[in-house]
Amino acid sequence: MLQEIRERAQGWVAWAIVILISIPFALWGIQSYLGSGSDPTVASVNGIKITERELTRNVQYTRMQLRERLGSAYNAELFGGAALRERVLNQMIEQRLVLDTAHRIGLRVSDEVIRAAILAEPMFQRNGVFDRASYERVLQLQGLTPNAYEHNLREHLLSNQLERAVQATALITDHELQQSIRWQHQQRELRYVQLQRDDYLPTEPPSESAVRAFYDAHQTAFQTPEQVRLAYIHLSAAELARDTVDEETLRARYAQQQDQFTTPEQRTIRHILLKVPTDADDAQRETIRQELAELRERILEGEDFAEFAAEYSEDTVSAADGGAIGSLERGQLDPAFDQVAFELAVGELSEPVRTRFGYHLIEVTAISGGELSPFEDVRDQLAMDSDASGAEGMFFELAEQLANLAYETPDSLIPAAETLGLEVQVSDWLDRSGQGAEAELAHPRIFAAAFSPDVLERGQNSELLEPESQQLEALVLRVEDHRPSAVKPFDEVREEIVEQLQEQAAAKAALAAAEAMVAQLQQGATWAEIDETLTVQEPGLVERSAHELPPVMLTHAFQLPHPHNGVPRYGAVAAPNGDAFVVAVAAVVDGVVDALDADDQQLERQMLTATMARHETEQLLAAFMAAATIERKLVATSSDDE
Amino acid sequence: MSELLTDDEKVEIIKKWWRDNGMAVIVGILIGLGAIFGWRAWVGHQDRVRENANLTFEELLVFLNREDEESAQSAEKAAKRLTKKYKRTPYAALTHLAIAQMRLNEDDPKGAIAALRTAAKQAPAPGLSQLAALRLARLLIAQQDFNSATKVIDRYDDGGAFSADFTALRGDIAAAKNRPDEARAAWQQALDNGASGLHLLELKLDNLSLAADS
Repeated sequence: MLQEIRERAQGWVAWAIVILISIPFALWGIQSYLGSGSDPTVASVNGIKITERELTRNVQYTRMQLRERLGSAYNAELFGGAALRERVLNQMIEQRLVLDTAHRIGLRVSDEVIRAAILAEPMFQRNGVFDRASYERVLQLQGLTPNAYEHNLREHLLSNQLERAVQATALITDHELQQSIRWQHQQRELRYVQLQRDDYLPTEPPSESAVRAFYDAHQTAFQTPEQVRLAYIHLSAAELARDTVDEETLRARYAQQQDQFTTPEQRTIRHILLKVPTDADDAQRETIRQELAELRERILEGEDFAEFAAEYSEDTVSAADGGAIGSLERGQLDPAFDQVAFELAVGELSEPVRTRFGYHLIEVTAISGGELSPFEDVRDQLAMDSDASGAEGMFFELAEQLANLAYETPDSLIPAAETLGLEVQVSDWLDRSGQGAEAELAHPRIFAAAFSPDVLERGQNSELLEPESQQLEALVLRVEDHRPSAVKPFDEVREEIVEQLQEQAAAKAALAAAEAMVAQLQQGATWAEIDETLTVQEPGLVERSAHELPPVMLTHAFQLPHPHNGVPRYGAVAAPNGDAFVVAVAAVVDGVVDALDADDQQLERQMLTATMARHETEQLLAAFMAAATIERKLVATSSDDE
Repeated sequence: MSELLTDDEKVEIIKKWWRDNGMAVIVGILIGLGAIFGWRAWVGHQDRVRENANLTFEELLVFLNREDEESAQSAEKAAKRLTKKYKRTPYAALTHLAIAQMRLNEDDPKGAIAALRTAAKQAPAPGLSQLAALRLARLLIAQQDFNSATKVIDRYDDGGAFSADFTALRGDIAAAKNRPDEARAAWQQALDNGASGLHLLELKLDNLSLAADS
């Protein structure tokens, strides 16, 4: 029997079996049988898996972007590990979900749309037209094949389709527009009194037991941070250069390159601008010039420049500031303006100056800079320039030796310092924030190393640290002394607590007084009857956006009910600093739709529509989330820590 | 029993079985293959139809927010094609959202309301029908048709996403019917539950005349 099978197996039976097996491969391909292998999954969205490897790649990419964007402010500790991973994972889940939903409900992306998107991409254009060569070059730089790029683009266009549809079709009814204008531009007539917290400070100090209780309840607030004193060897090419170049050569160079070391002249300038319309004729221009010349005369006769600027200048930004436009270098302004401004003496008033904006009156209020930096200040820089290559070579050689020596004797810096003839320096007490650190230590990377387990807990030398690779500075450090985080003793913080408690009590009393006043006012008392010494502020009719008023008071005033039958409404509210306000709303005047011209109405509508669209998009995503099956698997943070 | 038969006899049996059933097997395999290829062809066809619908829809989006007469006509044309030729694709429902906006711009709230009703009914994804229903209810409220608005809200508010927005609209209706306490409670609830992105809601709360208080 077996013999028989073996013979037949060469014949038609074998073929039939092979054909049967090959049908599924022909139809569904081989990929579905190979699967993604053993890569562990970190989450799945409606059955679509996000693997550990994908997540790690995205985390690294995000970190790279952060580092590029933040530069030296990048703090590895802040963006390390779990928090960033979590954030990236959430983003990925969201992306997968939106993409899957779009696909599931049957949205597609037409090839035409992809083509149009590629043709319209400015990156691929030369002289405003799509350029095949640029397209290929850009893709090559990104390490993508055209197929892969088109695939990514398709996914992108597919996943934002719903969002674009929702945003493009968002609508605001006239009714809503009217409501918004009516209330957003509403004015309320206010009167208010500010009660200073410090006027309500209790005369009696708080009881000892209250102070003690506060201390016990707020232990974390009185903690000193963990601190270290660092011993370190600092190596810098600039210092090496200083020791290798002789004084005379440097002085000679200094003399040669004086203009390099002259700081540019800065002038603090103020001006008054009268604009000239672009289509103005000569007569009109002359009138404006005359007008300005008159202002000039009056200022020369002793009237105040700043007041005139505030009143007449049509440069509204500087006008608010008495005409001041700040401190400027030559070449930052209109050439005509520039020329005059840099010839005036301090306090001298210019004739009207014509620029493309109009006519200006210019006054220089201060001049700084324009001086040569003293030799001592630029000595290091000169030394670096003149002997850069020599010092550089020495720096790299020493840095390498330093790294080796510090590694070979991990429990001391002294051998390295002695061998290389360098000095071990010791820092002050420093905490993780790095505040108050010496200049050469003030860098997040240094502090990350100082508080790393190897250095802090195991007491080893750090590796060679180069905070900014271009600056040719290097450093090896170890922890000389360590002070763990501790709660400050009661006696040390007692004063501080007493002060806080007094202030709290005062704030409470101020608010209580304000509330009592409100009660009296509501009974019909006048401000003067309550307290003649009160300073009642009367800003009159103001809008919600009146930034010059205390924000807490303003917000509260706009939340009070409308006055009824001519009786004002009163309210009391506490400010974050402990002051309290009593506010009265005497009248409410709604915004009028017709007071806005068509353009402003349109603008208002667009803003409302955009807010509405954003809100709808967020809610839609929440709806997708609620309808999806999302699983997250907790994976121990791993390999992605550099 | 197989031990009792010689190999030749076994072959004979197989051949006989094949004579009796061969035809059925072949037909079965053919039908199977036909079904598989047919299905794939159908899916492929559907994808092509949807891709074409996508192209038209992207055109519609481009024309939608332009203000000139010509764009408006092009948008109408694209919308018509999407709701006729592509009415079985998900783009049809999205198109009704666009039509609502077009009608409203033409000052035809009735038309807009009708379009949104269709959009809410045909919406292809969770949340999209709620989104359309919300817009619909807002239009109805603007038309002072509070009964219809209430019906729409009750029908589409499923307590999930968008629920805060529906609650806010209930507040709007209460306010319009001069029931300020109810309105305030509804608006406050809406703000607490995720409608906080809407500044207008805060304005409404601040300006509710207090019946209880005055």
